[in-house]
Amino acid sequence: MTPIVRDLGAQPLSGAAHGEIDAAAARLKRRSQKVLRRSLHIRTVDTGSCGACESEIRLLSSPYYDFHRLGLFFTPTPRHADCLLVTGPGCRAMDHALLSAYEAMPAPKVVVAVGACPLGGVFGADRYTRGEITDVVPVDVVVPGCPPSPLALIHGLLLALDRIEERITLQEGEQ
Amino acid sequence: MNEGESELTLAQLARNGASSQPMVSDLRMSAAGAGDLVAKLAPIARFADMFVRPAEQGLERVLVFADDQSGGYLRLICPLDESFPVPLSQVLPAAYQEECELYELWGVEPGGGKPVNRVILPPSAETAEPLRLPGGDRLSSEVRAPHVVQGEAIEFPWGPIRGAGQESLYLGLVTTGEELLDAYLAMFHKHRGLEHRMVGQTLARALFLAERCEGLGAVGNALAFARAAEAALGIAVEPAAEVTRCLALELERIYHHIGSLAALGAATGLSVGQAEAEILLEDCLRLNARVFGHRYIFNLLEVGGVRRGADLAALDSALDRLEARFESLVADLLATNSYVDRLEGAGTIAADDAHRLGLVGPVARAAGVATDLRRTHQVSSTSYVGFQPAREQAGDCLARTLVGAAEVRESLRLVRHWVRSGTPLQDDWAAPGPGQDHVRGPAEGLGWAETCRGEALVHLEVAGGRVSFARLRPAATRNWRAFDDALRARNVFTDVPIVEASFWLTVAGFAR
Ligand code: SF4
Repeated sequence: MTPIVRDLGAQPLSGAAHGEIDAAAARLKRRSQKVLRRSLHIRTVDTGSCGACESEIRLLSSPYYDFHRLGLFFTPTPRHADCLLVTGPGCRAMDHALLSAYEAMPAPKVVVAVGACPLGGVFGADRYTRGEITDVVPVDVVVPGCPPSPLALIHGLLLALDRIEERITLQEGEQ
Repeated sequence: MNEGESELTLAQLARNGASSQPMVSDLRMSAAGAGDLVAKLAPIARFADMFVRPAEQGLERVLVFADDQSGGYLRLICPLDESFPVPLSQVLPAAYQEECELYELWGVEPGGGKPVNRVILPPSAETAEPLRLPGGDRLSSEVRAPHVVQGEAIEFPWGPIRGAGQESLYLGLVTTGEELLDAYLAMFHKHRGLEHRMVGQTLARALFLAERCEGLGAVGNALAFARAAEAALGIAVEPAAEVTRCLALELERIYHHIGSLAALGAATGLSVGQAEAEILLEDCLRLNARVFGHRYIFNLLEVGGVRRGADLAALDSALDRLEARFESLVADLLATNSYVDRLEGAGTIAADDAHRLGLVGPVARAAGVATDLRRTHQVSSTSYVGFQPAREQAGDCLARTLVGAAEVRESLRLVRHWVRSGTPLQDDWAAPGPGQDHVRGPAEGLGWAETCRGEALVHLEVAGGRVSFARLRPAATRNWRAFDDALRARNVFTDVPIVEASFWLTVAGFAR
């Protein structure tokens, strides 16, 4: 089943939530070092978002969240990406670009659907949009919210690492 | 025509028109008459919008002009027939985008054999049928404008997937090396058919979609939509709810302009400035969440008022610190020569071009065009008392940054005034939206708001409490039109992200 992340973004962050960021951050760093033995690289694809999800994604690298300290980096090329962050309701005109980006990524790879849009929660399937992006690429983790906050996105990336670890274990078992 | 005669003509036209709602005059005429009038209006009024809608007999064309001197809108309505002196964009260059869209939506050719660009239908789309007209004639491919890059130049393709956290669009940068010669934009990969989706929906559901037209402008777009619906249904908004809406609109403007500063920091490679602006941006978003329950102030507006009041104590306690930190950020940025040098002279738009292209908002104001609906098109007489629009002349990235900074200051002043002067504000859960009393026969309304990016317009037709026709014209539709012009103005490759950050438009708004 696709894991779902609780959205913590609707409320302003209290001191406790800051503690939660730090705890999540420390865990994320430990896991990326254990699982990948290097940093996790992320490629983003917008398939028709309203722009607010992009704003939250951009803030991941801002000083409050500073995801670089956790060993997380955006990459401009899908060839270096472990994780695809997808926003938007899957506009059909983006099908080709989305699929190309996914196919260009090396295995093991994960797809994180960001926000209500790629879950079909804002637009349905019609001549303009897919409604759900699972029609185009397989989704491993969904982070609901409209938009999900940067903190929820960090939780989503933690789950993405779990999925990558599962795949590595599977590959090693097959060898 | 001298200036005195021009103003008289515009005012007279407005008086001669039928008034469907306050500040809006409608002139119905033949297509040929409308064509003649457009040529006279072009120098004296701001072209705001053009769309086609179904009428009792066939289709009709609606042209919307704004009067930025005395306020109000003039709409020319004419049948869609062959006698329209075409192509319209010869006299109104700003209308070219609409001409291209109308061809793909309704199969309406601009006439005169003028080629149109493919805009909405993606380049790879196999269908050649108009999007709106079921079973309409297939579009003839020969009207497509040829897209030719020749000589030593090459087109460097960038998109539709771009950098991390950037919206999708295709940018074809034509260059012989470092210098930018031309730019081609394809903006509709993200087209969600919002207007089409609204038809048949309840007003609440359609407002939900209008809000998501541009998430980073949700309040402004929702406000224009709500005002259109209220005009159609004859709903008066309580003054306290109106001021609360304005409060949300100004908080949106503040975070939006600070977001532009953060993007400019990234584009110029000024990491410290970027980090400072991002800290301030995150603080603004958290403040929004405390005051209105959502970081981007979604779900606040409804037709007839607002859904909740503001947490004024939270807002009041944050204002002074926010202002002090903003001023210190701007002072530091403007004292950094390497930053200012990158902005100065980059992405310049001349005042004439700003008028010719019907630009709005901070982009127009930075080029010396005095247009701000908060001054000229006020819906309530109490909200924007003493308001002073910002204005610069240079039209470059620096001018846009200075206008943005001045607007944040003015927004903070307004917010402080509303919060501290005892202006009645919605302080509790508001009354529910329009009940069955308001649901009557077919009606239409034009709604507007000065969003953080400039004028947003919504034309709405309602029947039986549901949307029967909608046209959204966010500020992005007007201002992206000048983006390629700004890029062509003696820029180099690395100026592109700077110009984009200084415009700080959304692709979502343009693509709808
Ligand atoms: S999920 Fe919500 S915030 Fe994100 S792109 Fe969709 S509408 Fe915008």
